[in-house]
Amino acid sequence: MNEHTDDISTDETTQRKHAAMIDRLSNLHQARISTKTNSKDPTFESTQSFLTTFTNSKQSIESSLTQIQQIPNQDPNSDLERISNSISDLEKLVAENSYFLPPYEVRSSLKTISDLKQTLDSVTSKVKPRKKFSFKNKPTKKQEPEPKPKPESESEPEHKTSYTINDSPGFRGTENAILTKEFTGSEIREFVLSDLTNCEVKLKGRFRTLFINRVRNCKIYVGPVSGSILIEEAEGCLFVLASHQIRVHEAKLTDFYLQCRSRPIIERSCGVRFGPYRLCYDGIETDLKESNLYEDTGNWANVDDFQWLRAIQSPNWSILPESQRIDMVKI
Amino acid sequence: MGLLSIIRKIKRKEKEMRILMVGLDNSGKTTIVLKINGEDTSVISPTLGFNIKTMTYDKYTLNIWDVGGQKTIRSYWRNYFEQTDGLVWVVDSSDLRRLDDCKFELDNLLKEERLSGASLLVFANKQDIQGALSPNEIAKVLNLDAMDKTRHWRIVGCSAYTGEGLLEGFDWLVQDIASRIYVLD
Repeated sequence: MNEHTDDISTDETTQRKHAAMIDRLSNLHQARISTKTNSKDPTFESTQSFLTTFTNSKQSIESSLTQIQQIPNQDPNSDLERISNSISDLEKLVAENSYFLPPYEVRSSLKTISDLKQTLDSVTSKVKPRKKFSFKNKPTKKQEPEPKPKPESESEPEHKTSYTINDSPGFRGTENAILTKEFTGSEIREFVLSDLTNCEVKLKGRFRTLFINRVRNCKIYVGPVSGSILIEEAEGCLFVLASHQIRVHEAKLTDFYLQCRSRPIIERSCGVRFGPYRLCYDGIETDLKESNLYEDTGNWANVDDFQWLRAIQSPNWSILPESQRIDMVKI
Repeated sequence: MGLLSIIRKIKRKEKEMRILMVGLDNSGKTTIVLKINGEDTSVISPTLGFNIKTMTYDKYTLNIWDVGGQKTIRSYWRNYFEQTDGLVWVVDSSDLRRLDDCKFELDNLLKEERLSGASLLVFANKQDIQGALSPNEIAKVLNLDAMDKTRHWRIVGCSAYTGEGLLEGFDWLVQDIASRIYVLD
């Protein structure tokens, strides 16, 4: 730096220095060129030589890819990794030379590289068994029978329908009958009414939960249910029910007289009508009070139709006109 | 990947967990959520749509999505799958007739790729009812042992009515998620 300030005046020194610098630079350049050729540096500045190198590596990669497919190796991992490395070397080669290559060559080389990668991927999936992604839908299903023979099968050897053994209490598969049941105390019980036709059912007293399915032309009178009632497939019936929750699925032309803590719901139903609870038997007041169902919530009229999510009234249900409602039923 | 890692990072800071409650209608999902949050469970209407409940549990914030289980709205469950850390499948252990439905819907749910990383808690609810199946029997009916080995799962018997078993279930779920996501400290 101080040289600079010193030598402004003397042209001679400047020139000398300049010559020295040129000399030094050219030496450096020479040195660089020689190391380049020695270590096969991939900068050629000649499209032709680039293409030759490129094609050679490409062919060698392709041949090792076919080889690995033909000769199944016990441990294909190292080979695959080697190929993958040579592909990325090739990619680097293109990148380093891209500044002088014609755009067409760059594009076609990159295309070749992406093709090679794809081939490598498909070869990899062929040669190596897939591991990580085998947990998708289908294989899981296939594995199902496998872990089934478990040590705990000594009591019930894989009894899939074991739960039908202890069937819930209830009335099932009956026609033209009057069915009565009285619950005493506060039974924490479920009860089932299923496959009934032309029946009259009277359930007195408090109990916990009621399942009703496939009933036709029945009259069903039920005391307070402290849990929920689920009704599926009812046609031409009359229900008098008190419960915390009432769900009605697939009901047709059926009338409901309800006392309900929450909003009753209907789903896939049509022609169903709703009115207030109309039931009495000796001691029903106490039962209703103890089940927290004595207070009239008016919810029997607040029906949610899950298939009619609009502000206007659903065409599937209506409120029973007062003139058409039944009188208090004594059971 | 970028957005996902940012979200993960934010969640880690806030120790938040997203929990999805699903199951057939009438299984008691809403009652479980309200009960565990100490709220009144005597007036619960069948869920039309969903409820979100945010609560603090241990040192974590749980965002519980309680989605209605009626058949007509089950197809919307998939809208809630994204970013779910824990899945709670609620079974009405006294509804023997619909256990096949229950199994079918659960199997479908577990095929969902977006839920593949979520811990699964199965609540065998309504254990207080006399005819209810035990958690072991429910596990057998649902064939839970055949589930993918990578899934973290557990079945717990409970009663949303009495509150029994709810904490046991949530304790497991929260600990399991924490050990996966936050690496317990």
